[in-house]
Amino acid sequence: MKQFSTILKFELKSYFKNKIFVGVTVFLMLLIAGVMFFPRISAMLEKRDSEIASEQENSAAEIADGQETDNSSGDSVIFVLTDIPEYEDMIHQAFTEAFPDYSVVTAEEDFAWIKEKVAEGWAECAFVIHDLTSYTYYVDNLSMYDFNTETADEILKNLYSINAMSARGISLEEAAEILTSPVSHETESLGKNQAENFFYTYIMIFSLYIVILLYGQMVATNVATEKSSRAMELLITSAKPASMMFGKVIASCLAGLIQLTAVFGSAFLFFNLNKSFWADNTIITSIFDMPLELLAYMLIFFVLGFFIYAFLFGAIGSTASKVEDINTSVMPLTILFVIAFIVVMSSMSSGSVDNTLMLICSYIPFTSPMAMFTRIAMSTVPFYQIALSIGVLVVSVFGIGIFSAKIYRVGVLLYGTTPKIGSILKALKKA
Amino acid sequence: MELELRNIHKSFGDKKVLEGISFHTTAGTAFGLLGRNGAGKTTTIRILMDVFPSNSGEVLIDGKPIDYHAVGIGYLPEERGLYPKKKIFDQLIYFAQLKGMNHSNAAKAVDYWLNRLGMAEYRNKRLDTLSKGNQQKIQLITALAHNPQIVILDEPFSGLDPVNAMLLKDVVKEEIAKGKIVLFSSHQMNYIEEFCDKIAILNSGRIVLQGDLHEIKRNYSRDRLLVCSENKAQILADLGSCCTENSDGSLMVQMASADAKQDMMKKLTETYDIDSIQVFEPSLNDIFVEYAGTQE
Repeated sequence: MKQFSTILKFELKSYFKNKIFVGVTVFLMLLIAGVMFFPRISAMLEKRDSEIASEQENSAAEIADGQETDNSSGDSVIFVLTDIPEYEDMIHQAFTEAFPDYSVVTAEEDFAWIKEKVAEGWAECAFVIHDLTSYTYYVDNLSMYDFNTETADEILKNLYSINAMSARGISLEEAAEILTSPVSHETESLGKNQAENFFYTYIMIFSLYIVILLYGQMVATNVATEKSSRAMELLITSAKPASMMFGKVIASCLAGLIQLTAVFGSAFLFFNLNKSFWADNTIITSIFDMPLELLAYMLIFFVLGFFIYAFLFGAIGSTASKVEDINTSVMPLTILFVIAFIVVMSSMSSGSVDNTLMLICSYIPFTSPMAMFTRIAMSTVPFYQIALSIGVLVVSVFGIGIFSAKIYRVGVLLYGTTPKIGSILKALKKA
Repeated sequence: MELELRNIHKSFGDKKVLEGISFHTTAGTAFGLLGRNGAGKTTTIRILMDVFPSNSGEVLIDGKPIDYHAVGIGYLPEERGLYPKKKIFDQLIYFAQLKGMNHSNAAKAVDYWLNRLGMAEYRNKRLDTLSKGNQQKIQLITALAHNPQIVILDEPFSGLDPVNAMLLKDVVKEEIAKGKIVLFSSHQMNYIEEFCDKIAILNSGRIVLQGDLHEIKRNYSRDRLLVCSENKAQILADLGSCCTENSDGSLMVQMASADAKQDMMKKLTETYDIDSIQVFEPSLNDIFVEYAGTQE
């Protein structure tokens, strides 16, 4: 036990003295700080820019030929140019209502100048309306997420319908009422709201994947380095292989947890410092609105999943004589983990996290840390299933731990070319 | 304290690696474990250090099964290696703690040995900044810092310059004088002859010769004479195949038996101009080649 704690302390100290480990952690924390403070900084910059914005407003008012512009907030400008003067007021009103974040300016002439202003980026875009069923949309760079034409389609379709109904004897007010009759609905999810949970589940699964793979590889490389530098010769005569293996794996698990806590903890702290600036962002607020119960499950599945893989990575590392051999040796295990990740991710994207494959994966120790956690986060899983999955994982951690320690004990004494699985199992029998 | 290995057998699968290894040695003496590569020395040492168990046989201290918690063992492996990228002091403390020392005692012991071996200035340096010889001295500290009762040194002098070899010799003599059991494994027979009172020669997992080094030499067949003479050519011509010339110019005269030595000495001194004549006593190297030269 004393040897185990000595090894644990030594290995943990090695992580904290590792400049890359500390550097990456600090970098991630700074990056998160940057992201979390961004809306606050951006709001400060916007205040400074308000003068420039008011200049824009005045200028827009001038070219609007005395018409109402409603650009008091300094919003981006949308030009509307119509060939049908009788609908000009109606169109202006409809566009102003449909684009509340923009300053809609109705221009009557100087078409070339308007195009130039759009190309310069001074105005966001321009609609040149030929009649109620056709228009041309001018924009500088057409974004993938530009849905302005859909909004304009809807506006003109409505105006056309109102106009048609009016022609058939229905008053304008009645026509408008018919077309804009509101439909209200309420949604009550009896289980989990996948749309809300998707982002934090995604982040957690991705973190689990990265940390297990990264630290697992580090355990394997660490063991192989000790072997190739021949420090192992002294280690095996100074400590029990089981103490060495468990000391290393638990130290790397703690290092991973500490790194995750530092990164997510700082994210939580910086978010709360800037909470008011993020109020409108439902994705970010949903991420930080994660239930504590889920965090507890994350911790359980992270630790158990980490042990399963780290033990195996350690055992594989012990069979390699050179650090260069590690990549090839760990490939089957890495592929297994990547497959588990793909299954979980594709199920998450499809929205069907309770499919048969996920159900099976929830009880296989190599896939259950990700699969069962995803199901818990995004679906309603009976408690007995969760308990069974955790039970299988716990038993597997012990089984794989003992098996890996045996391989480790034999592996560290084997030098030369990396042995095949068969010869390792034979050596296990002989030892 | 007396260390005894009794009838140790070890097989890896069908391959018998050790077949009935038995020897014993006492505190305040050095024991030489000799053998060619693959003879079973490292396996014997690993069983002695409990790296893996033997199939049968016992490791005893004063006649009782060894208690590894009570008996400290220091080991300098033939394959040297520590953590190249870590600070020397940190890793020496780590290995001392693995051997059961607490941090403050480990720090004191490590500082003592760094000073004793003239390595104090490298205390906070990384291991890979040191020369090979100095790295070896650092590795020696891992074997001695925890003040073990049994010190196992596998090829301790390889890679050391004469000055460092002298320093190590002094350290080994001090350890023997402190009443420790020193187990030597080396191919450099001059060092074995210098330190070891007893030796065991292993060949293919068996001890083919063991005992007190001086007795082994004394009991070695005394049927050869080492002769230095100005009349070499004449002696060679007269004695024929019984006499051969050594590389140093001396002559080796083979007799029918050791009983004939008085007659032969008398004959040679009376007949030829002899500078010196003595019964040939083999070196440990000669004994080693004879016993370990052919692997079974």
